Amino acid sequence: MKSKKIIEDGIEKRDFASGGEVSSKLKNKLRKLGIDNKDIRRCSIITYELEMNLIIHSEGGHLKATINSKAITIETKDKGPGIEDIDKALKPGYSTATDEIREMGFGAGMGLNNVKKFSDDLEVTSEVGEYTKVKAIIKLKS
Amino acid sequence: MSNKHSVLLKEDKCEGCTNCVKNCPTKAIRVHQGKATIKEDLCIDCAECIRTCEYHAKYAETNKLSDLKLNDYNVALLAPSFYGQFDRTFDPERIKKAVYKLGFDEVWDVAYAAEAISQKTYQFLNKNEGIYISSSCPVIVRLISLLYPELLDNIVPFNSPVDLMADYVKDQLSIPDTEEAGMYFITPCPAKVTAIKNPLGREDSSLTGAISVDKVYPKLLDLIKNDEELKNIELKQDYQPYLGISWGQSGGENDILNNEGIIETLSVSGIHNIKKVLEELTRGNIKGIRYLELVACPTGCVGGIFNVNNPFQAKYNIKTNMREYSDFIEQDIEEFNFELDEKIKEIGAEKLDEDFVKAMDKLEQLEQEIENLPGLDCAACGAPDCETFAEDVVNGLAKRSDCIFVLRKEIGDLADQLSLLTHELPPVMNSEDNKKDENDK
Repeated sequence: MKSKKIIEDGIEKRDFASGGEVSSKLKNKLRKLGIDNKDIRRCSIITYELEMNLIIHSEGGHLKATINSKAITIETKDKGPGIEDIDKALKPGYSTATDEIREMGFGAGMGLNNVKKFSDDLEVTSEVGEYTKVKAIIKLKS
Repeated sequence: MSNKHSVLLKEDKCEGCTNCVKNCPTKAIRVHQGKATIKEDLCIDCAECIRTCEYHAKYAETNKLSDLKLNDYNVALLAPSFYGQFDRTFDPERIKKAVYKLGFDEVWDVAYAAEAISQKTYQFLNKNEGIYISSSCPVIVRLISLLYPELLDNIVPFNSPVDLMADYVKDQLSIPDTEEAGMYFITPCPAKVTAIKNPLGREDSSLTGAISVDKVYPKLLDLIKNDEELKNIELKQDYQPYLGISWGQSGGENDILNNEGIIETLSVSGIHNIKKVLEELTRGNIKGIRYLELVACPTGCVGGIFNVNNPFQAKYNIKTNMREYSDFIEQDIEEFNFELDEKIKEIGAEKLDEDFVKAMDKLEQLEQEIENLPGLDCAACGAPDCETFAEDVVNGLAKRSDCIFVLRKEIGDLADQLSLLTHELPPVMNSEDNKKDENDK
């Protein structure tokens, strides 16, 4: 079966009010498709973390999810500022969030680390000053 | 009549408005042909529709006091919230005695089991990592198994206080054949009735049925003031589980959990609030909390629709009642059977199709349908919003023209076509064109 796009949404920087919307929309669709609950939960968490990453750290971007009978791929691409040291960014507790963001209860440095923890395969590519691209793959049960 | 649910519709009273449709947390109601219908597999008996119906067309079925005639021996179980119905002039002992006079041979407090669960839950949370949800509100358990099945493992795997108490009482009854007893829960809400008819996580219930608070209240008010009547009654339980009684209002369960030791807890009541919490929980955005006390009715069980006293006063009554008490009743909690018979199963009513490829096709159709709808969520089609209506169309349960905006457009298109057709002339009147046509052949 060919992969089909099931969601594509733009995400604005600092748009905290919309945080979680894409995650909820994706979850509802996956439920309609009869995807395993554990996989749905993984997708919800990954999508939410990526959404919040774009809202908190980026200049805005978009999120896209595609699905086939074997896996779900969740991708984001933003308009910068890019990540200098990707390995560091994937470590728990590492964050470049400002004090202001931290005061809002975000920026604990668990975002990308959580994405890594819940996905079966993760690719992060970035060019400083240009973009960050994230591609998370969730393999489906049965 | 339904063998699954207790929340039902009085057809003759339904005016076909869509208040209940819009307010249903699981989108279980549709209005068709001017009458509401409740989709059985989506209903969680939360009673939001009963709360919102201005025409009193929704009701919930419970047993009546006259059903006590069916058995020679009858037992009443009182909900913690029951005590909120009375002010402090009536202490729990007196209230219980009055319940005996309604025709019961034994009267027991669910609060007693609630105290046991609190202690058990404290042990459980110390042994297990992660965040757990109280299993006491049957609406919430059903909501999770329907809309948030990925959270089923987060529900504390214990029986609710009512079930726990009913099992316990059955073993303590003063008659030889306990199956002969009529065991009734005096219930504040329809969901507890459903939990007896159609239990989750259990094969069956130890209860025979449930009688709503409003059916016993008027008679009870007379009895409770009558010293003569109450004088000679001997209580089965002569202790008052005040801490357990605090479960009757939201926050009470967490208060007494923290009586054991510090546990990071959060209490949320009101089904729409709870949906928001569960949504955040599924995306991993509830942090630092170990235990969630989630009760569907606003202000907790005292907010159940069968209660007579207003929920705010009732909450206050319960809080003042327990003010002077801070200790659990001494009991061996291992006498209770906490474990559920089976894992709580997913209700799983949201799938578009069993087959993944077919479900994908339907999802695409669904998105197409949604695009053609106005997105106003006006509910004039009888579904709560455009998305749900589109799903009904895809599943063959509604037709596109049930949407007045689609219908209007279709009529408009038809009118345009009509107007075009009126400008067409019969062939005999349009000789030049006809000749041209002939030559072309």
